[in-house]
Amino acid sequence: MCFKNLPVEFDEQGNASLRGGIPDPYTASMAPANVPMQLTHEQVEELVRRNGHVKSVDFDPVTRVAGALAFHAVADLKERRIYEARSVATLFRGYEVIMVGRDPRDAIYITSRACGVCGGVHSTCSSLAIEMAIDCVPPPLGVIVRNLALALEFLYDHPLHLHLLAGPDYSAAIVEPTNPALYARAKKTEAPHADVHGYKTMAALMEDLNPLTGKLYVEALHMTRVAREAYVLICGKYPHPQTIVPGGMSSTITLTVMNEMYVRLSQFFDYSKKMAGIWDDITDFFYEANPAYKQVGQRRANMIDTGIFDHPDAYDATYKNASAWGDRRWATPGAIVDGKLVTTDLHKLNMGLEEFVEHSYYEEWTGEGQRQRFPNDPSGNPLSPYHPWNKITKPRPGAQSWKEKYTWDTAPRWDRLGMEAGCYARLWNTAVAQKMPKNPFIESTGHSLKVRVPKGALPEMELEWHVPEVWNAFERNRARAHCVAFTAMVAMNNWLAAMDRLKNGDTKTSTPFEIPKTGERLGVGFWGAGRGYLTHHLVLDRGAVSNYQIVTPSTWNASPTDRWGQPGPYEEAVMNTPLLEESDNPEDFRGIDVLRAIRSFDPCMPCTTHIHSDAGVVTREVNTCACGVED
Amino acid sequence: MRTLIGAVGYRNLRDFSAAFEVIARLEGDSHLRSESERGEGGCPLGPDVVIEDTAYNPIAVVQWLQSLEAPERFDRAIFISSLERGRTPGMLTAYRWDGGLPPDDQVQQAVTEAVTGIIALENTVVIGGYFKVLPPEVIIIEIEPLDHEFGPELSTPVRAAITPVVVLVRRLALDPDAIDDIPVASLPLRHAQKARTL
Repeated sequence: MCFKNLPVEFDEQGNASLRGGIPDPYTASMAPANVPMQLTHEQVEELVRRNGHVKSVDFDPVTRVAGALAFHAVADLKERRIYEARSVATLFRGYEVIMVGRDPRDAIYITSRACGVCGGVHSTCSSLAIEMAIDCVPPPLGVIVRNLALALEFLYDHPLHLHLLAGPDYSAAIVEPTNPALYARAKKTEAPHADVHGYKTMAALMEDLNPLTGKLYVEALHMTRVAREAYVLICGKYPHPQTIVPGGMSSTITLTVMNEMYVRLSQFFDYSKKMAGIWDDITDFFYEANPAYKQVGQRRANMIDTGIFDHPDAYDATYKNASAWGDRRWATPGAIVDGKLVTTDLHKLNMGLEEFVEHSYYEEWTGEGQRQRFPNDPSGNPLSPYHPWNKITKPRPGAQSWKEKYTWDTAPRWDRLGMEAGCYARLWNTAVAQKMPKNPFIESTGHSLKVRVPKGALPEMELEWHVPEVWNAFERNRARAHCVAFTAMVAMNNWLAAMDRLKNGDTKTSTPFEIPKTGERLGVGFWGAGRGYLTHHLVLDRGAVSNYQIVTPSTWNASPTDRWGQPGPYEEAVMNTPLLEESDNPEDFRGIDVLRAIRSFDPCMPCTTHIHSDAGVVTREVNTCACGVED
Repeated sequence: MRTLIGAVGYRNLRDFSAAFEVIARLEGDSHLRSESERGEGGCPLGPDVVIEDTAYNPIAVVQWLQSLEAPERFDRAIFISSLERGRTPGMLTAYRWDGGLPPDDQVQQAVTEAVTGIIALENTVVIGGYFKVLPPEVIIIEIEPLDHEFGPELSTPVRAAITPVVVLVRRLALDPDAIDDIPVASLPLRHAQKARTL
């Protein structure tokens, strides 16, 4: 029984139904049990009033993240802890509003603009939703090439985050001024993986993580080019592809294209070994220097992922069979609660999804006299009125108030729990579920993932990522680094599969389709961004979009506190973070531990491009001063 | 003299698309000329002028410039963009960039924006300058926008500015001495008040 909080039960055949005898089953009184809570506003005010050393600390904007994020915290600089944490998405995205009334094919191009890093994942996710709604199944090579495109996007994304955005948090330029004792220790500490990455000491490694001048920073810039070049071979351009269509890909795949792709993909063999070694060494060094670092960014291991990389023999684009084809994915779908995998079933993942807006700049869409549009999914499973297929996006800008509304993000919950999204969720699910296809490169052991990376300049290596005992900022980064190898080897498997198809004369990459102009149809794209979970829920009415709802990884991670007082993942992680920075003078406080906690999620506030407001279209983020906030 | 003419902006965003209208007009000449008249590479302004849509990830622009071999490298770059600075709509500001760079934390923020999808002239120039890939002469032509909405149409004052920009760009692209008429100035940076050291 995967649901502990939702009023859904299953019979012996596994069919879901609403629990009997509950007049309003999805009512707010169905609160999640045993979850962390924010202090009330009154409690925080009292702490600030009584203690001079309890102060507001605002990060606005949070730099080195994608898009517009601000963060408000109330910190006790004497006790070195955080009492309150509020995550603020400062811009309205509005893609859900833009999509209504349009031809669904527009979604492939419009929703791509939701993100300037990984637009292609949105294009693909929308094409998956359309395929499901119109019954269009891509040919095997179309599925395989789509997998390759996704993997190449991740090979752009992960190095970018690790060495351009989060990496500087562990660089000499940051560690030396904020933790001088730690840096002194780094100078004397040998790096265990020196034979792989080439740095004899931890301090030498930290030097090359320095922004702009560090070799690892510059190398990451170069590797983004390698991944982009491989991507445009099959997608035309980056980050907004031109070849993704419902029913597959419109690109022409030849041996030449595949060979040119391999030249680029193979450059990630050695790079992925190096990444894993670097982030294993950083993590272990900090833990050994001070075990309290295990609490930086710590939260319950609650995470969710829809799985990605379809198997061409299994994927049939139907909702009915989603549980079956989901289980055949290269990265297994799943929900993890308190470190335990509770389901891998895409139907259950979808059924448990709700979005709440108590602290968001939106109006509630349920209520008196409001008919729930879809009480059930297409397979007859019960859906909440707060499920995306039932959601209506009703923006309502207003004053910022921690008691009331303070963000443009919503609060998605699964089984009413604050879940985290990330590439690590796909590692974790895949490692534990042991459902991935048999292949020569990746092995799922039930507690780890073993990835055999072929020889490059470095010898062939087996990297192993273990399900961690604690879940924190360091483990997020470590897992992301191991995800480079995992992704590269999923790409290798799909590259080999594509070559086999081509050798046999199978070059078909797409299936023709028409958009039906009658009836109401539902579709959902279950896909993933570099940062994790991605869904597009689509309702088609007589050939036009009547509802379109996007839930991105950062919708989960940056979510505000919910109606029950349960913080969102950034908020929870920051509330658990001890302030280990070495500073006696509050004026010198830089908040590096808080920033490490936030950046470890790889925040992507996909709202910086072409945002519409009453004042026009915003092409760039703006900051909102949280320090002047009401209350 | 090898010259790059680069347009930076957003397509279908009315006045913020003005730079594309400029390069379309410059390239449009090619439709009126024979192939032999257009010259090598098809550029109507001659084989030593490259007209380019540079409205993409500034890091990728930098990497393209880095990859050029010696004979392909540029002596002069002319970047055109709509930039909102509170001037009269349609007003043109042309200046030769003085090469001044902001502090490193602001360069770092520009790189962050670039790799996460923000297209902005100042990022292209700052990152290009930092990595020393820009030509010795960089000329910036700014157009003050009026209209912020989605759509292909330019506002009346910005549309009126297109022809003068085309004339100016053509002169700067072809006449090595035309740069003498252009004042030297710094690039105003929007990062200045925002960047944090962490």
